[in-house]
Amino acid sequence: MTINRRVFVKSGGLALFSLGLDPLFLARAAYAAGRPSVRPSDRPTLVCLFQRGAVDGLNMIVPHGDGLYYRERPRIAVPAKDVVDLDGYFGLHPSLAALKPLWDNKSLAAVHAVGSPDATRSHFDAQDYMESGTPGVKATADGWLNRYCQHDREHENTPFRAVAFGPQLPRILAGSAPSLAIDDLQAFGLRAPQEAARDRLTRAFEALYEGSATGLLASSSQEGFEAMQMLKQMNPSQYQPANGAAYPRGRLGRSLLQIAQLIKADVGVQIAFADVTGWDTHVNQGASEGQLAARLKELGDGLAALAQDLGEKMRDVVVLTMSEFGRTIRENGNSGTDHGHATAMLALGGPVNGGKVLGAWPGLDPEKRFEGRDVAVTTDFRDLFAEILARHLGAADLAPVFPGYAPDAAKFVGVIRT
Amino acid sequence: MISYLLLAVLLQGAGAPSPRALTPRDSAYHVLNRLAYGPRPGDLDSVARLGVMRWIDLQLDPRHIDNPFLAERERQFPFLGLSRDDLARLYLQAQRARQERLRADSMSRAATDAADQTPEALRARRIAGQFQELAVVRAVLSQRQLEEVMVDFWTNHFNVFFGKGADRFLTPSYIEATIRPNALGKFADLLIATAQSPAMLFYLDNAESVAPGSVPPQLARLQARTQFGLSPRRRIFLDPMGPMRADSLRQRALLRMPKGLNENYARELMELHTLGVDGGYTQQDVINVARIFTGWSLERPQQGAGFVFNDWAHDYGAKTVVGVTFPAGHGMDEGLRLLKLLASEHATMHHVSKQLCARFVADDPPDGCVDDAVAAWHRSGGDIREVLRAIFHGPDFWAPQNVDTKLKTPLEFVVSAVRAVGADPDTTPRLAQVVARLGEPLYQHVAPDGYPEREEDWVNSGALLARMNAAVALASGQLSGVTVNLDAVAPATADADQLIGAIDDKIFAGRLSPHTKQVIRDQVADVRDPEQARTLAIGLALGGPDFQRQ
Repeated sequence: MTINRRVFVKSGGLALFSLGLDPLFLARAAYAAGRPSVRPSDRPTLVCLFQRGAVDGLNMIVPHGDGLYYRERPRIAVPAKDVVDLDGYFGLHPSLAALKPLWDNKSLAAVHAVGSPDATRSHFDAQDYMESGTPGVKATADGWLNRYCQHDREHENTPFRAVAFGPQLPRILAGSAPSLAIDDLQAFGLRAPQEAARDRLTRAFEALYEGSATGLLASSSQEGFEAMQMLKQMNPSQYQPANGAAYPRGRLGRSLLQIAQLIKADVGVQIAFADVTGWDTHVNQGASEGQLAARLKELGDGLAALAQDLGEKMRDVVVLTMSEFGRTIRENGNSGTDHGHATAMLALGGPVNGGKVLGAWPGLDPEKRFEGRDVAVTTDFRDLFAEILARHLGAADLAPVFPGYAPDAAKFVGVIRT
Repeated sequence: MISYLLLAVLLQGAGAPSPRALTPRDSAYHVLNRLAYGPRPGDLDSVARLGVMRWIDLQLDPRHIDNPFLAERERQFPFLGLSRDDLARLYLQAQRARQERLRADSMSRAATDAADQTPEALRARRIAGQFQELAVVRAVLSQRQLEEVMVDFWTNHFNVFFGKGADRFLTPSYIEATIRPNALGKFADLLIATAQSPAMLFYLDNAESVAPGSVPPQLARLQARTQFGLSPRRRIFLDPMGPMRADSLRQRALLRMPKGLNENYARELMELHTLGVDGGYTQQDVINVARIFTGWSLERPQQGAGFVFNDWAHDYGAKTVVGVTFPAGHGMDEGLRLLKLLASEHATMHHVSKQLCARFVADDPPDGCVDDAVAAWHRSGGDIREVLRAIFHGPDFWAPQNVDTKLKTPLEFVVSAVRAVGADPDTTPRLAQVVARLGEPLYQHVAPDGYPEREEDWVNSGALLARMNAAVALASGQLSGVTVNLDAVAPATADADQLIGAIDDKIFAGRLSPHTKQVIRDQVADVRDPEQARTLAIGLALGGPDFQRQ
């Protein structure tokens, strides 16, 4: 019988040891043990927004300089007079007008024709692939953001390192690295009618777990109680957005506000994630106004409010939108669009190489289309995600984050300024 | 040296097995935790009295266990009376109502919301909620506890995702007609039933898998019509939907047309359902299995969405799978032959036995347990009851290091807590919502591997806090939809020792850790109100670390 030699190295407050050989609870116990007391406030943060339902990239970042766009969409194209022009060819949907100042100050970029190498048009499969980071492989157990956390241990020092807003941890953050699902910052913790009762319950459970918990129950409960303590100091119910930022009403606005709050509180958020739904516009999608316009307005106003609220902090923040695929170039018989292939993603923040629509644009010509109908994918989403991990978060090794794929810097679209 | 010491300490902390031998009541506690969803008040004594091994035998043959209480409760779930046809019709109605609402007005966010609030949509959601709740209610109330545990096991082993399109109406019949009747039968029967179930065929896309180049008869007719039939102008004239709509429909029909092999089911069949990822099959095997299952599909929802074998879509060529030849010229029969072959492969026995041992014994099951199960599988020709019997009779199942050590899944935690306080759930979806909040929304696992069994998949700080909240809410009677009966555990009293004694005895079979008892004693010490003292003590006990394990 051989016993693996495990070496615990303590250096600069970090605990490192051979991940993969050790039971997870040991790994997490080591995370907990090596927690440094200082929390640098200028660490990079990545905020990911998943537009579930497949956003119509062509009406989000509109190729208004292409006559084909108008011919294929007689009823739902955004009229050129309404488009917020960006570069003479592309423009923003008018509902995203709030983002134009960010484009002008070069902190907003769009990546067009980005998507999956897998041809599926199933929301279910495509979301799964975009979150697992392994297109075409269904059995991948964890998500790529979690795998990044597993392999980059430097930041593993706070329960708020990776936070998803919502009742459950999304697939993208599923995996062995600790991540937090928070439905509502104000409600995170133990519930009791009065504060005194809440404090008492908290102390009681803390005492129970400190003494009797074994394995992962011990380290995770410790993280939980610590997070509660930190939140209590933050006093989330008293939060006021800065610089007159006004978040849109609804779930997205609330998630973004809470993300800003966590980032400003310097609790060590490196990755924040939120969902935004309602993009599956098969029927009456609308043009300058309508269903999609309303969703885009919420998105644009929300992102603009986040940037405003974070102010100087945006220097270290990148916000990335993503969606499982795009929609058909041609409108359908119900004044909507059906499931397509490539879509557009937005990147926003200080480190972003802004003021540009990035990625190779394949155009709308029928012979350039994917399967004769959809915008072709010219940027594999893994190359975009990998670039952000490497150049923004400083990931050293991308191979374990995207198994079976070797992200290649030569294929990076240049979304992060170098 | 230091590192080995630290390791030893951590390892010991993880297991913390109790050194003492198991008393009859300890054994009853162990089997009620593993073969059932935890003891209800009184169960420990009755199982100990009956004899643990005899109780196990009874549970393995549930037909002889009367279940009148559950049967009566099931009658309060009206969706159980709906056939797949009925559910398909409701699903189509809800879809149609949504589209109509959106077509009428989609200018506002409110309209989108309204489209999700049509009476049809609400009805569909009500049925979905009932369906999830029923799983929890059965786990709480059924006398045939092992059967419920195995239904949960197979539901995850042969996972489908309720949220994927037609699986919204196919999943109920999948559970009722495919999984439940086979939960304690022969593995091969269960495997064949899942392979032919519309829910699985849709979920893993086999319904879409056709021999490359094959054309469905309807589309062949349509193509013939456009080639030789009406002029485009006349078609427009005749088409009441207008040219755009008709064009779009045709495009969609073309898009919907299956384009060739889909390997999803073939791959998961071998990787997850049978051989296991290291089961010795190749990518070429996956392709050939997919070819064998070409044509295994389902009818359109309008026709009832039943299983159908489409002759036109089948690949009649010769194939080889894991070294076995399937000669040319065979239709649906070769799929059945393949399933029987896979069910009897050694790799399958090993893979499934290992998962069963992981469920019943330890996250990383000892080899001996797996070997015993495989031997019983051989002996019995894949009789699940015999495989289970071998596991329950094996030394590993009873080894002290495997007792009180497995972390409860959210379903196990919620159901065992409800059972512990003698609670009675109604038919509202409240308990299923609690299970979902703790991270296990039933039938909603997206990936085909089903909900995991390992500790690290369930323990995170947010989920733990949610468990504590659920425990306190349950003990204080604040979970609507559940009537608790704390009297069955302990009388209302401010006497801390009496409370802790009763809780330890009734809920934990006397195995509550001294530390937990001490903390509860300290907490209850200054509570004068007997009701409050009891609520606090039970809430802490159920939300504390001891109750998270089984």
